[in-house]
Amino acid sequence: MVSKIKKKILSFQDTIFNLQKYWSKKGCVILQPYDLEVGAGTFHPATTLRSLGPKPWKTAYVQPSRRPTDGRYGDNPNRLQHYYQFQVLIKPSPKEIKKMYFNSLSSIGINHEEHDIRFVEDDWESPTLGAAGLGWEVWCDGMEVTQFTYFQQMAGVECKPVSVEITYGLERLCMFIQNKKSVFDLIWNDEGITYKDVFHQSEKEFSAYNFEYANTDNLFKIFEMLEEETKLLVEKKISLPAYDQCLKCSHVFNILDARGVISVAQRAEYIARIRELTKSIGKVWIESQS
Amino acid sequence: MSELFVELFSEEIPARLQINARNELKKNIKNFFIDNQIKFNENFNVYSTPNRLVLHVDKIPNEIKLSSEEIKGPNVNAPEKALEGFIRSNNTTLEKIFKKNTEKGEFYFFNKKSRKIKVSDLLEKNLSEILKKITWNKSMKWANYDLYWGRPLKSILAIFNKKPLNFDFNHINSSNKTFIDKSLEEGMKIFNDFHSYLKFFKQKGILIDQDLRKKIIQNKIDEIINKKNLKIEQNDRLIDEIVNIVEKPAVIVCDFDKKFLNIPSEILITTMQSHQKYLPTFDKKNNLTNNFFVVSDIKDTKGFVKLGNERVIEARLNDAEFFWEKNKTQNLVKQVDKLKNINYFKGLGSYFDKIQRMRKLSSLISDDFLISKDKIEIASSICKVDLMSDLVGEFPELQGIVGGHLARFQGFDKEVCLAVSEQYLPNGMESKLPKKMYSVALSLSDKLDSLVGFFGINLKPTSSKDPYAIRRMAISLVRLIVENEIKIKLKDLIVYTCSVYRDQGYEFDIKKIQNELSDFIIERLKNYLKEKKIRQDIIESSTFLLGLDDILKAYKKSICLNKNIKREIGFETIAAYKRSSNILNTEEKMSTESLGFADPGLFKNDYEKKLYKKINDIRKYFLSIGKDENYEESLKILSSIKNEVNDFFDNVIVNDEDIIIKKNRLELLNMLCKTFDNYFNFSKIDA
Repeated sequence: MVSKIKKKILSFQDTIFNLQKYWSKKGCVILQPYDLEVGAGTFHPATTLRSLGPKPWKTAYVQPSRRPTDGRYGDNPNRLQHYYQFQVLIKPSPKEIKKMYFNSLSSIGINHEEHDIRFVEDDWESPTLGAAGLGWEVWCDGMEVTQFTYFQQMAGVECKPVSVEITYGLERLCMFIQNKKSVFDLIWNDEGITYKDVFHQSEKEFSAYNFEYANTDNLFKIFEMLEEETKLLVEKKISLPAYDQCLKCSHVFNILDARGVISVAQRAEYIARIRELTKSIGKVWIESQS
Repeated sequence: MSELFVELFSEEIPARLQINARNELKKNIKNFFIDNQIKFNENFNVYSTPNRLVLHVDKIPNEIKLSSEEIKGPNVNAPEKALEGFIRSNNTTLEKIFKKNTEKGEFYFFNKKSRKIKVSDLLEKNLSEILKKITWNKSMKWANYDLYWGRPLKSILAIFNKKPLNFDFNHINSSNKTFIDKSLEEGMKIFNDFHSYLKFFKQKGILIDQDLRKKIIQNKIDEIINKKNLKIEQNDRLIDEIVNIVEKPAVIVCDFDKKFLNIPSEILITTMQSHQKYLPTFDKKNNLTNNFFVVSDIKDTKGFVKLGNERVIEARLNDAEFFWEKNKTQNLVKQVDKLKNINYFKGLGSYFDKIQRMRKLSSLISDDFLISKDKIEIASSICKVDLMSDLVGEFPELQGIVGGHLARFQGFDKEVCLAVSEQYLPNGMESKLPKKMYSVALSLSDKLDSLVGFFGINLKPTSSKDPYAIRRMAISLVRLIVENEIKIKLKDLIVYTCSVYRDQGYEFDIKKIQNELSDFIIERLKNYLKEKKIRQDIIESSTFLLGLDDILKAYKKSICLNKNIKREIGFETIAAYKRSSNILNTEEKMSTESLGFADPGLFKNDYEKKLYKKINDIRKYFLSIGKDENYEESLKILSSIKNEVNDFFDNVIVNDEDIIIKKNRLELLNMLCKTFDNYFNFSKIDA
């Protein structure tokens, strides 16, 4: 029998609200997105830097994430050069974290007794952050909806205590909840605004920028300038501004990579340069914590 | 008699780590019982689900009797503290301590009387150590704890004889309780024996025993494929992984849109298998179908699981289709030049440089193989272009295979396409072996170029590290040669490869590469023989007098000898050789002062003459055989010397008073041994 009251579809923004409310109740500091271009929620200083050192820390926030190479001019139903992650970081990792995670899923309408929820081995590594962790990608009926990671190393430093990071891919999660085949069909709010209305033009134009128009000569120069600035700030021992410059370096590198002007050998070299910056910043930050 | 039952509850442990942990725990606990002389049921088992590692051993006595023993303490000259400690640790008094002289001086001793020990006490004392001995290929820490484990360990249940065992394992105290709900980690429940534990979870549909899970999955799949007239590919690795990532398996049949069957099937299969752990199905003609199996960890009562998985595969196949349509029209030949931008390896140039070398190398090989030089050069030129395709970017494990499909679509010759697709094969011991000569030639030139290059820039593997999988490359080279029975001059090819590198401006130490690479490949041949279960002594002798150009010969002779060593022709051959060599070994001077031949003029009887004639017959045989030696025939001929040897030893005393006669007889035996060396170095073979 079909239920008479049609179940309301959880909108994209309601999904975010629910997760924020849920993790807020769990004692997390709810932050706003970091105001720089980053590749993932992990790059937010509230994760990278705060996961270092002994002080306990709990946070949750949405982070717009930019992956220039994943742009498809808005033509592909599953790929975006700009998307949202919902990020949770808790240090030290609590004993009941899995229960917390499952309950967060029910807060957005996913009942683990009706779905095949699987923790599939996926060890995580970020060469630019000098970071590594062990954990899983969480599958819901075969779709990857979350990354679940115990940080073992960050900025080249062993994590003690160990933090746990939960990263929800918001678009994927919502496609699952709303039963949509294309990300652009996602319902953004209860007024009928869709993801396409909000982001389609942006996907098209940024793909063109990332793949065709970004001025690579300038970007190479900018990279050098930012790298130099970072080093200078590290010397001055101000870790947060130094980290900002380093994030900018990382994004410039990502655009250059998307433009296809970085060879395989060069690529490794650039990544190593960014990693060295992160490492030196991590050191300064840890010193500032004691 | 009692049972030991331990359950370690953790967050989800990856399949490979689980399998390893089961084996390690099994080994460690077995050693514990043996070392402590405790009887136990040796047919015990270790089980696991992603969250539970379970040990169950029964038929264990509750007590063991330890016989009396003399315990050695500190030296009498040691500080008093040491003696006090010794008394304390043995729970005794000064009166019961005595002194005794040993080879190393005078020591205190204590007579420990025979006594009974409770096995439960021993277990409580040792379990923590036993668990600590489990080694993980990859392990982690969590929260504030110092323990390393595959994934966070949450609780330990330990029971012996229906009572809890109490011990600490790092920060965790053992108990008789475990979590019932693996997801929420809720509902602690007490269990006092393994049977009720198994039964409890079975009622919830959870199967602790991995073998049972495997059987149930396989039966269900068989049932469906029989009904639907389908087949699945035997894939033990995937099945074993699936079995170890579920606790209550439910097999669901799903399907995808038939239009995707136009994409090369390897791409579809890889998407299903390695990305999603699905099992693809085939029809009776071995064509991929659009049905596939999902093994879910939950009963799909509402159909959500099927729906979700079908959506996932559709999204993934959409992507794959997009890339295939795009890549197939990009002209392979026109892209060759772009390989200049792709670094092959630091110090070894770009992929463009590599294919230039491979082209020369494969062209030389084509002369030996009697195949078309033009075709193999075309194959070499286009073989790496697929590395730049979106498809290989997306499915790196399909490098080569994608290239083959692209070439086929663009109308290249059939043999060229196959060679491109098989260029990376074989990839190690288990992998499929190319049989067609074009494929073999391309694969050989790829591997030789890599091996010479890596040795050239001194990146050969060490005993513990082999980051570029160079061993696998060399073992694949050995397989290409011996399993396809290819006669090539590997030495010359290595020298030629070096010269091709030199033409590009790479200055390698050719002598050094030749020596090191040659030893390296011969070592791999020995490993290969070991894998083929050839006796160790045969392996050790196999490459004696045989060099890099003869690895096929060494392989065949080893196989032949191994097969026949217990049969008459093998047995008699070795017996004849050993009888002769044993006498020679006692005469040390023989090796340095040998003339290499005996003088028939000095023979005193027919036995010597007959043996001499027989040896010469065998020598003639070895001189007459060309490249097509039948190794079994050779062995048979060697063994036919049996009668002459036996008659000789039964009737002739080698140790003649006349030193000249004696020496001549030794020379005769030395001739025999040297003749036998034509076949094999029997000196190291155990009779």
